[in-house]
Amino acid sequence: MENEAVVMKNVCKDFKVLNRHEGLAGSIKDLFSHDYKTVSAVKDVSLTVNRGEIIGYLGPNGAGKSTTIKMMTGVLEPSSGEILVNGKVPYKNRTENCENIGVVFGQRSQLWWSLPLIESFKLLRDLYMVPQKEYDEMIELYRSLVDIEPILHKPVRQMSLGQRTLSDILAAFLHNPAIVFLDEPTIGLDVSMKSKIRSLILGLNKEKNTTVILTTHDMGDVDALCKRIVIIDHGQKIYDNDIEHLKNYFGSYRTLKLCLADGTWEETLIDEKTTDVMDVIMARQKETKITDIKILEISTEDVIKKIYEGGSV
Amino acid sequence: MSKKRGLGFYADIYRKILIQDLKSKMSYRADFVISTFGMIMTNLSGFVTFMILFHNFPTINGWDYYHMLFLYGFSLVALTPVQCFFDNNWNLRFMVQSGDFIKYCFRPVNVFFYFMSEVFDVKGLGQLAFGIGTIVYAWIHIGIPVTPLVILKLVVFLFTASLFMIAIMNIAAATCFWIKGSGYVMVIMFRFKDFAKYPSSIFSGVFKVIFTFIIPIAFVAYYPSLVILQPDNVPLLSWLSPLLGLIFFWLSYKFWMLGVRKYDFTGS
Ligand SMILES: Nc1ncnc2c1ncn2[C@@H]1O[C@H](COP(=O)(O)OP(=O)(O)O)[C@@H](O)[C@H]1O
Ligand SMILES: [Mg+2]
Repeated sequence: MENEAVVMKNVCKDFKVLNRHEGLAGSIKDLFSHDYKTVSAVKDVSLTVNRGEIIGYLGPNGAGKSTTIKMMTGVLEPSSGEILVNGKVPYKNRTENCENIGVVFGQRSQLWWSLPLIESFKLLRDLYMVPQKEYDEMIELYRSLVDIEPILHKPVRQMSLGQRTLSDILAAFLHNPAIVFLDEPTIGLDVSMKSKIRSLILGLNKEKNTTVILTTHDMGDVDALCKRIVIIDHGQKIYDNDIEHLKNYFGSYRTLKLCLADGTWEETLIDEKTTDVMDVIMARQKETKITDIKILEISTEDVIKKIYEGGSV
Repeated sequence: MSKKRGLGFYADIYRKILIQDLKSKMSYRADFVISTFGMIMTNLSGFVTFMILFHNFPTINGWDYYHMLFLYGFSLVALTPVQCFFDNNWNLRFMVQSGDFIKYCFRPVNVFFYFMSEVFDVKGLGQLAFGIGTIVYAWIHIGIPVTPLVILKLVVFLFTASLFMIAIMNIAAATCFWIKGSGYVMVIMFRFKDFAKYPSSIFSGVFKVIFTFIIPIAFVAYYPSLVILQPDNVPLLSWLSPLLGLIFFWLSYKFWMLGVRKYDFTGS
């Protein structure tokens, strides 16, 4: 297999949105209506993802992340540009493409709602024509990475959101796909489930060399999983590099935390190149009493926030 | 190096999903009992209404009571497959509007198949039993000879008839890919099935044309059943109905799949 899992070249996606009308009469009107507006969801994005990489595909809400994933999975056709996934055009070979990918859309389960998880697994095994031996090995691997016993015989409808997400992720890896797309998988989960899911993804990536394309708003996910991040905003790629590079770029930034008399902490982000930290502290001290001071390196969270606010790197 | 998935594969997958689905349905026992009871009552009341209505009208346009009853049974059986195997069409518009529909597009199998395989409606089985019972009862009274050829014809033309209603509902459901009010379209089309149990000859000109060529309800029972009921005087449309049924079903499937391709997968 070629070394690139995904290659995108100058990909754009426009949606034509019809101003729809309610009711039966409205429906008939819609059939003949030309009342469209165009939304550019993805604009001229080029991107190469290599095998075995875990990349964080980041951006604020509405940036175009899900739309990109829908194009890579072959359900949406790009308006222009080229996409190759595992060397094939996904939209033209949807079923073939699906053999080699796994997809999780957070909070939208793809499993059979009323079936125990193990039965869903068996159906998926048959759907993907996974040989029994490989299937057994995968289940063993799952057992070694996460405690699946409590959910294995539970119908999906009786599961908590966390258990359901975990199940969906396990199901996405079951046929040992070359690439797994995870669209906001940790949304709404508690801390312990998040860390379980992160170590599961890391473990599977390591064992199977699966390429993982992850979108998330949780920088904890990014810190735990991604070496490389791609950021898009308003459909355009604004950053694509190692996360370390980003942190170096923002190396002169510090988060200054001041504890006030009433015990609350105040946070300010300061660029040491332009502002002296001591000046800020002294200025604040004239206004109020400060009981404690902390100066921290910039967090991933703040770096990303800066990029969203401040344009390109 | 794509894996090959033929008819055998699909039949096997369908069977496995069906078994799991029935198992889980039966584990909700109260639910199962109530819906079985409801299904019997629905069929019984339909049947009784029919008896009362037609017992006092011995002939309509040359059709006597038992011919009418045969047609009624024929329509019940012909409407079973759409109820049992294609009931998920009723959920299509909700999934399309919410964006949940996308999940059917991530598997390496036919989307139409995968979508329909999710729901098997047991309620249709009661209808099937009632339909068969009614056909047998009418059959005996009319005195149609029982030969292997007639039985074969019955099976083939029942199958044919069922394709028309499936196709009508596929098209009605798939309108949701283009319009918001597809619920109305489905309900209206589903109501039309009630006309299937009457001989098309009782309808006046315009309706006859509509129910034959536009919304082909007359093919859900009337035309195919004439092959059994009037073996000496079978209209051309009856003989053509298997071919027309296959073509119509294929077109409805293409229309449904076109909707999937045109659909822009709203929802995040
Ligand atoms: N099916 C669609 N029809 C119209 N507009 C859409 C559709 N899907 C997404 N959009 C628009 O495209 C933009 C990008 O959406 P999306 O890819 O879902 O963003 P993200 O996943 O980054 O939050 C948004 O402005 C959204 O409203
Ligand atoms: Mg999204």
